[in-house]
Amino acid sequence: MLIAALVIAVSIGSERLAFFDLSDTQRSILFDIRLPRVLLGACVGASLAAAGASLQALLRNPLAEPYLLGVSNGAALGTMLAFVFFEQFFFARPLFALAGAGLATFTVYQMARSRAGMNVERLVLSGVIVTTFLSSIIVLFTSLLDAARLRGFTFWLLGDLSQATMSGFYLTLGASVLGTIVLRSQARPLNLMMIGERDAMDFGVEVGRVRLIVFGIASLLVGTSVAASGSVGYVGLIVPHLVRLSVGSDNRLVVPLSAIAGAIFVVLADTVARTVIAPRELPVGAITALIGAPLFIYLLRRN
Amino acid sequence: MFFGSKTGRFLILDFRFWILDLKNSSYKLTVLLSLVVMAALACHPVDVPSPVVETREVRDDLGRVVYVPVKIERAISLAPSLTEMIFAVGAGDRLVGVTTYCNYPAETAAIEKVGDTQTPNIEKIIALRPQVIFISTASQLEAFSKTLGEQGIAVYVTNPKTLDGVLENLRQMGDLFETSDIARKKVIDLEGRVSIVWNEFQRFGDPRPSPRPPKVFLQISRDPLFTIGNESFLTELIEKAGGDSVTSNVATAYPKISKETALALKPDVILLSDSEDNTGPSDVFKDSPAVKNGRVYKINADIISRPGPRLVDALEEIAKDLRSKN
Repeated sequence: MLIAALVIAVSIGSERLAFFDLSDTQRSILFDIRLPRVLLGACVGASLAAAGASLQALLRNPLAEPYLLGVSNGAALGTMLAFVFFEQFFFARPLFALAGAGLATFTVYQMARSRAGMNVERLVLSGVIVTTFLSSIIVLFTSLLDAARLRGFTFWLLGDLSQATMSGFYLTLGASVLGTIVLRSQARPLNLMMIGERDAMDFGVEVGRVRLIVFGIASLLVGTSVAASGSVGYVGLIVPHLVRLSVGSDNRLVVPLSAIAGAIFVVLADTVARTVIAPRELPVGAITALIGAPLFIYLLRRN
Repeated sequence: MFFGSKTGRFLILDFRFWILDLKNSSYKLTVLLSLVVMAALACHPVDVPSPVVETREVRDDLGRVVYVPVKIERAISLAPSLTEMIFAVGAGDRLVGVTTYCNYPAETAAIEKVGDTQTPNIEKIIALRPQVIFISTASQLEAFSKTLGEQGIAVYVTNPKTLDGVLENLRQMGDLFETSDIARKKVIDLEGRVSIVWNEFQRFGDPRPSPRPPKVFLQISRDPLFTIGNESFLTELIEKAGGDSVTSNVATAYPKISKETALALKPDVILLSDSEDNTGPSDVFKDSPAVKNGRVYKINADIISRPGPRLVDALEEIAKDLRSKN
């Protein structure tokens, strides 16, 4: 199915291509622009969905999502700082995004921790606080800095895959594959933790370690995808839900399948974003939110 | 004095409603209600006698009927293009407020700033007691002009879509500020310069069969790739300069264009609106004739982004770039 989605996405675009008789221009369109974008979309979708799936399992909260916990906004702020101060370094953006995502996660985690252990409601609330706080810093930056310089940035904040390059793709590919494998390796302890952290400890699960790994890897996945494509919303929320509806809640299945389904979802959403008002474009984040939000309300009511 | 003024009255009434509504405890409703009350009151004449000013009826670019004083003494411009126009017709000394973007001519530095074009400070505007406010629909909002109208300040909207529209606006400004002679001279001068460009373009086009006009891509920002579309005055300007905008059939004024499409456009000339995020052509143009032949030109962003009198400077510069064989 992922392959089918990729094929569909590559064959549709604002320019029609004769696939068996490519001119130089068409080859360039296909290999320099469309292919990197589709592949990047797949990696971003996989990263966000896998991160969402494991965070939901870890926090035993179906609403846990990179965006809700402030991880994405941390990454966005990091990317913005890199963009403002270290524009010339290629690696500055993903590194700062990762640092931002990690810091946001750490802050939320520290805020939510209490003597009694980890309180799930408190964690989600902390996430909301950190998210809004970081948003306001981002708004502050965009208002203070020269408008022309950050014009691109505000567009990118909505989730925009049009700046895809092969090098950006390799980085995100590496992160998404590595991240999904690591998260998959934590699936069994996550399954036990879903029953309850105390029960999991009785089964010999090192809860703290699992938590650290999942938070760390989720930050890595979200950081690299935000650095590459901005904030593509709802993927980490919707995709794992749909996967759970069809295969149950065993994380050994949910995590890898979410990655695949997330890739399909973003690739198809971006195909719509690229073509629906061609030759103009929409940000992909608008499409995922447009599909994601109503679907989420439906799921919420059904449960 | 304070309580006799319009704002003073509103403050008191506003406050009273606020207290009443606190019992109902809906904060948003309170704000909404007090706004409605303020708006309703604003429609009624207030018993403070305002100085009688003789007004006349004019129509602005949106076809709205606007009552402006016969003699405009205090005006505010909320767009750099309008500031430049008002100075060009010799009425710059009657501007009491401009935006932070208004940086031309140099005299604008001494004029009070009322915020930027998107978020002007309405309190400051009212405090400056303008008779007329000039806004351009290119960047400004309806709700805002409504508030000003309720304050008894005339709001005049200009919306030039072509170079001729800009010249027409200059004539209108001359009429409004009673400086028609200066405005007329300015327009004749600009028309002369436009026709020189046009004539040279004609000469450039000969001998027949004339070479096709160069295909021009105007890049506003590199990443994301923004350009001009069919609703931008720049599409027409490029045509007048002897070129052919390759994005002239794309909808809207300033679209973000697909990189695939841009790559297939193969422009002969790329014009860069000179700004920090637009220092070179997008990578998708690396195989285009423009980049291969080194025909990439930067143009001052201020002069090509403002539909004001300096648009003719932009026209001359684009024409020169299009004609230079490298």
